[in-house]
Amino acid sequence: MAYAIATSNLTKSFGRNNVVQSLNLAVPYNGIYGFLGPNGAGKTTTIKMIMNILKPTSGAVTVMGKPSVELGPEQLAQIGYVSENQDMPDWMTVKYFLNYCRTMYPQWDQKFCQELLTQFDLPLHQRLRDLSRGMKMKAALISSLAYRPKLLILDEPFSGLDSLVREELISGFLEITRDQDWTILVSSHDLDEVERLADWIGIIDRAELKIQEETASLIQRFKRVEVALGSPSAATVKTPESWLRFQEDQMRVTFVESCYQPGETEKKVRELFPQESSIQVFPQTLKEIFVALARQYKISNL
Amino acid sequence: MLSFSVTFKSGIPIYEQIVFGIKKAIISGQLKPGDSMPSVREISKELRISPITIQKAVSQLVRDNLLETRVGIGTVVSEFGIASQEKKMGLLGDDIGRMIVEARSLGITKKEFIEAIEKQWQS
Repeated sequence: MAYAIATSNLTKSFGRNNVVQSLNLAVPYNGIYGFLGPNGAGKTTTIKMIMNILKPTSGAVTVMGKPSVELGPEQLAQIGYVSENQDMPDWMTVKYFLNYCRTMYPQWDQKFCQELLTQFDLPLHQRLRDLSRGMKMKAALISSLAYRPKLLILDEPFSGLDSLVREELISGFLEITRDQDWTILVSSHDLDEVERLADWIGIIDRAELKIQEETASLIQRFKRVEVALGSPSAATVKTPESWLRFQEDQMRVTFVESCYQPGETEKKVRELFPQESSIQVFPQTLKEIFVALARQYKISNL
Repeated sequence: MLSFSVTFKSGIPIYEQIVFGIKKAIISGQLKPGDSMPSVREISKELRISPITIQKAVSQLVRDNLLETRVGIGTVVSEFGIASQEKKMGLLGDDIGRMIVEARSLGITKKEFIEAIEKQWQS
């Protein structure tokens, strides 16, 4: 399978500190990839290496088939990049800023730019420095969408924004999906936001990738199971490794099944706890899945 | 405005929730046979969900014969939509089956189960 972004054993150290450690990210074409992790996990550093802003200590990145260290103007014109801490020429007005960006991209689509301006309801004649955080993100997003990039990389686009502005931003960046080839990588520390949006999830913590999977499959395989026992269980039971956060008291057993298959998990429960009187299975949100994994792998909490 | 609605719950794959929302609209008559469906992109934009997820849901509904793709028109609600009561019940069958399993495992009696359904039906 070819990937829009692929990293192999990507590592970045500052002094003795490994900020990104042997990362193997695989972002498929045509989909939304949610790159998740707590603040300081290494998300921004990874993205900067993808964008050829930072040089890896070791390992490599390929972006749309090309090594990131060779990314030139031709490739960068295919990539839209919006970062939470982006430097913007604050003294420019929105209109001046967009006209300024326009000159850098031959394929700039002015009609599309106008549509986005209307959709976002941005004040054309205000200076960037006078805009709210949300408005500024919108201006940055327009400047990265109007040339119709094939790959859009968003570094923490939602942080510090209220839900209405988040929704507007999402509608905005989904606009790139009208073209045939599109890929979105969005980093966030907000799991709820991304659960609905992302087709793929990658979770990074303390420099390492802990999970990389299709969102639907991740949500399908994690379930919280509660078992009521008719009588206390006699001996200590050896439970499968896929049962996380296993807890047992006199009349009740709870755990998070990380490989749930309808019927199979229940069968295993009856085998290990023949005295069960009821089994209940509950869905798990991405946040709950993350907490279960955090306990298991000692990941820091979000 | 979309011709169907989805109330999203966390913890259930999104495409399943969309399949359910569209099925519900067809069963309730909100969507009628021959009605054309909004494009994948329109649904995606309206619900703010990846078009890949929407496509997955639509493909599933086409496989289930609830939607059909017509050349030059797009996706429409298939004639199966007005199907017999029997077929409508068939659609619900899996869900009811799952609920019964759940109810039994909770030790709920048939009477209590039906009462619970009646109560929900009114609301």
